[in-house]
Amino acid sequence: MSRKLKYSIFRYNPVDPDSKPGMQEFFLQETENLNLFVALNILREVQDPSIQFDFCCRAGICGACGMVINGRPGLACRTKTADLPDQVSLLPLPGFRLVGDLSVDTGSWFRAMNEKIRSWVHTDKEFDPQEQEVCMDNRVAEKIYELDRCIECGCCIAACATAQMRVDFLGAVAMNRIARFMIDPRDKRGHKDYFEVVGTDQGIFGCMGLLGCQDVCPKNIPLQDQLAYVRRKMGWQALRRLMPGQA
Amino acid sequence: MTTSRPACLDWLQMLTGICLVVFMYLHALFLASIILGPGAFNSLADFFEKYYLAQKGGPAIALVFLVHFFLAARKIPLSSREQKKFLSAAKMFRHRDTWLWMVQVVSAVVVLLLGAIHMWVVLTDLPITAEKSAARIQTGYWLVFYMLLLPMVELHVGIGWYRLGIKWGFIKSAARHRAKRAEYYLTTFFILLGLIILVRFLLLSS
Repeated sequence: MSRKLKYSIFRYNPVDPDSKPGMQEFFLQETENLNLFVALNILREVQDPSIQFDFCCRAGICGACGMVINGRPGLACRTKTADLPDQVSLLPLPGFRLVGDLSVDTGSWFRAMNEKIRSWVHTDKEFDPQEQEVCMDNRVAEKIYELDRCIECGCCIAACATAQMRVDFLGAVAMNRIARFMIDPRDKRGHKDYFEVVGTDQGIFGCMGLLGCQDVCPKNIPLQDQLAYVRRKMGWQALRRLMPGQA
Repeated sequence: MTTSRPACLDWLQMLTGICLVVFMYLHALFLASIILGPGAFNSLADFFEKYYLAQKGGPAIALVFLVHFFLAARKIPLSSREQKKFLSAAKMFRHRDTWLWMVQVVSAVVVLLLGAIHMWVVLTDLPITAEKSAARIQTGYWLVFYMLLLPMVELHVGIGWYRLGIKWGFIKSAARHRAKRAEYYLTTFFILLGLIILVRFLLLSS
């Protein structure tokens, strides 16, 4: 006998002046291998076509279906209802602009963050399409790839009480990005340059080590170790700057 | 250009934190000499005074203690908007390490107040002797005072070194759960040791 699950879904449409924020309840029979993403689609198709939520890839790749599931930020498509109790509460990710119901605008936040930390490979090398591609050491490439798996779903920001408290805090995702460029030999920036963007209280020194990011990351990116790596590098850089003759 | 200030303050917060963690654990172990008897306690106290460790070290620790408070206080949310944001995030998330930070904030305030009183009372009445300490604990509300200060200090110190290890990477993610377990055991051990010491002082006849 399958369970009948109760979904409490946050409803609010900011563009509708009559809309009031609140939770609305839905009931749905659980089926085999049901995940939250499919459940939401069924609810929208069968019960209420006005429910707003985002999705795209349904396979944990696009990061669009991030939401707060029973108090914990996560991806709807990667959450099986079998792992959830009979009652499921769904809230939009905090810290981002609300589009409506469970849909938030993570794009603007991520764009601003990526621009702030200058999240691209900085190089003086002219690109020559005829030239053979420079080979990268496999170990380095794998290390970079490990960090590049970030899908920018926003769960680490929603799970970080520091980021919720201080709106200008860049969060684990930004430190992970910077760590990725630090180990990339194609990026000509040195620690001096990285210090300019993350050696601040809005950057790595604002992190209080609460580790919400590490515990919710749907891609299991080792954020704890990356944050510590950036803190150590930036810490040493600050000491180097204090040495006489160093700018 | 970005200033080095936040980085340097973070360094100082870590270094003063390490000093205080080491000091607090040693402090508890030295106090434990009372379990062996007032003789052992007094000779240890004499030793510290002979080499001016109490006279000079005491105020030095008090200074480190104050500096550490001011550095760490930068992180405490002061506006009610920030406090509300933190609380609602913590309530929604129900995440152990986030709540442990709240424990650190509350214990910090208690330790600042009670710790300062404790240091004042002890350091203005040197030399330290088992008899004087016992008399204090047996008078008025001092027992209640120490019963409150003890767990607050141990919680703050325990969570403190765990968090420091996480932040600077002495504790890697693979070792995090083991480190946390060690932290719980160590904190429990030192709270129990402190209770035994308090009972010993309470039962010491003057």
